[in-house]
Amino acid sequence: MARTGFCDSKPLLDLHKKADERRAPLRSWYACGTIDCWQPVEVEESRMVPVKMEPVHRWERRLSAQTNESIIMGFNEDRLTDTAADGCVEENMLLYPQLQGFPSLQALVPSLLRHEVETALEKLDLIWDRTFAWDMFLDMMRTQAINTLPNADLPRDFTDATRSVLVDWLIQVHEILHFQEETLYLAINLLNRSLHVIKVTTVNLQLLGMVCLFLAAKKEECLLPEVSGLCYLMDHTYTKPQLLRMERKVLLVLKFDLSYCPPLHFLLLLASIARCSAKVVWMARYLLELSLLEGQCVVFLPLQLAGSVLCLSRQILQEPPTPEGEAAWCLASSVHVGSETAVLRIMHTLAGAAAKAHTRETCATFIKFSSPETMYVSVHPGLKNIAALLGVCT
Amino acid sequence: MAHGTSLQYEPVAEIGGGAYGTVYKARDTESGQFVALKSVRVQTDQNGLPISTVREVALLKRLEQFDHPNVVRLMDVCATQRSDQETKVTLVFEHVDQDLKTYLERAPDAGLAPGRIQDLMRQLMCGLAFLHSNRVMHRDLKPENILVTSQGQVKLADFGLARIYSCHMALTPVVVTLWYRPPEVLLQSSYATPVDIWSTGCIFAEMFRRKPLFCGESEVDQLGKILQVIGLPSEDEWPTDVSLSRKHFPSLLPRPITDFVPEINELGAQLLLKMLTFDPLKRISALNALEDAYFQDEETLT
Ligand SMILES: Nc1ncnc2c1ncn2[C@@H]1O[C@H](COP(=O)(O)OP(=O)(O)OP(=O)(O)O)[C@@H](O)[C@H]1O
Ligand SMILES: [Mg+2]
Repeated sequence: MARTGFCDSKPLLDLHKKADERRAPLRSWYACGTIDCWQPVEVEESRMVPVKMEPVHRWERRLSAQTNESIIMGFNEDRLTDTAADGCVEENMLLYPQLQGFPSLQALVPSLLRHEVETALEKLDLIWDRTFAWDMFLDMMRTQAINTLPNADLPRDFTDATRSVLVDWLIQVHEILHFQEETLYLAINLLNRSLHVIKVTTVNLQLLGMVCLFLAAKKEECLLPEVSGLCYLMDHTYTKPQLLRMERKVLLVLKFDLSYCPPLHFLLLLASIARCSAKVVWMARYLLELSLLEGQCVVFLPLQLAGSVLCLSRQILQEPPTPEGEAAWCLASSVHVGSETAVLRIMHTLAGAAAKAHTRETCATFIKFSSPETMYVSVHPGLKNIAALLGVCT
Repeated sequence: MAHGTSLQYEPVAEIGGGAYGTVYKARDTESGQFVALKSVRVQTDQNGLPISTVREVALLKRLEQFDHPNVVRLMDVCATQRSDQETKVTLVFEHVDQDLKTYLERAPDAGLAPGRIQDLMRQLMCGLAFLHSNRVMHRDLKPENILVTSQGQVKLADFGLARIYSCHMALTPVVVTLWYRPPEVLLQSSYATPVDIWSTGCIFAEMFRRKPLFCGESEVDQLGKILQVIGLPSEDEWPTDVSLSRKHFPSLLPRPITDFVPEINELGAQLLLKMLTFDPLKRISALNALEDAYFQDEETLT
């Protein structure tokens, strides 16, 4: 199992020693680095309480796609009158900004892309019924900006380096608790948003991070760890009441708004349309997770991140092109992921991060993606000269 | 934060005591606007705020972003700790002048104009289609839970809350009205979005009658009253996973719906029957209802 290698690995222990020397307030983090400390959660089933699941209802989906569309567009028009400025744009603008101003939606959206999107969402199990697939995609496009941050500013006394140490630690906890990938992306999004609005001392950073992960789990997971288990993972630096108080505080400042469309969903969607190979997808997933550690990346839209890592991954791996592959890539590229400058900035940032990943202290992601299950993507030789490669293409 | 809430929102009057708590009209001291405050007491356990509450409130917040004209605005959410075991979650809504119950009571003696009813129904269906396509069931539609602004705009209220409450219902002996419940709920069979269509059908009839269509006194009585109108369904339509047997009810033939809703026109009656269909799988959906001939009919307006 990948995890064993990961816990045994030396870099992890070193990392925490160094992090500890560097930043005294984060003192308790080192305790989580040893395998004895993690193990109970992994093996002890009693720490995981099953969450009461609502009965799964089979929703009525007998509606024709066309009537659906008219509804969505109908109320879009309502919206557009007074909210044109707040980031809500019409479908054709979202997809093809260059075609802005054309009247007929039906004529604009190539049915091929629509078909591919529906198939992909269905394959990825992101929808319950195909009838609503296109609506769901439009909804993803429309709402992705809502909880993305306007700037990368951090609270005072809090540096990008501190942030990455915290994120790196959360990535480890997330893996130990066997959570879904979506949970990690949501947790980091909640953390980024909380940091913007909550006044938190460095001493309480770890608590804030853990609470964000806990809340993300409440939203996404079927099995929830007990709070006492989480306190244990923080070496009992904080008490249960402290954690629960922080939970309420975070919910309040976020006004219970936990909606976030993870970039991972866009990545899998684009990759599926583009018929990317498993290796390209793993590489892209690795790069996407690296983006969580980069403070500069919090301002980018999920779709921008997803599109950029997919591009970068293809450039790194340099797989021989096939006519079908190129055609599929063209189709996927017709979804406008963002301005060229934004895409290039993301690619440069992440190419740099990936090239140095093995030397960094925050290397949980590097280790996670060096396993056979992930096709060893983080140790791929192509990552070393990626900067040069990028120079060529820019 | 308790202070935060009580300072920002200054209670003006009690609007209504629902089954789960009291709704207050209050003034937002920052904006001067009127709001409706509604609190739920949530039992917290070892793991903090229950997952169901976290998810449902998050869902309400998400739907809020769509700004749908037929859904009441959720303006704010506050959480206050009352004790170690209890947290009060307060939802702050825009205040709407009246609910549909009051609106119907205030209607002129001659009743609502057919065009008015058609308009109210179209708005109701739009709101419902929106909720359903976002995978939200209302589950407690009745005139008290449908708000109507002084301009005649319909706004669904209380949606999604049903699920927040139901997780904590054991604490309050809840008497929720039976009159708008569909057969599958009365039979305790599985149910989904068609429940709301049934309730809306009952409300549709009530707009003409200005009194409820089926006023049962118990679940069995309620089902009996329904079957007296729509007739006893065939054996294969009766759900198999329920304790109450079809044999329990007399074999009745459907009666003309116009016996109960005399003022309704032909197209309206046809739509009403599609909504009051026993089998939830055969019941019309909100989106299909919007396409129904009843709503295309201009004559109703004259
Ligand atoms: N936003 C609002 N603006 C104005 N009045 C409202 C608003 N929300 C609710 N009300 C009024 O308060 C009454 C009671 O509220 P509501 O029905 O939502 O309570 P409840 O606790 O959900 O009870 P129940 O579910 O049994 O109906 C409603 O019938 C309605 O008249
Ligand atoms: Mg109510």
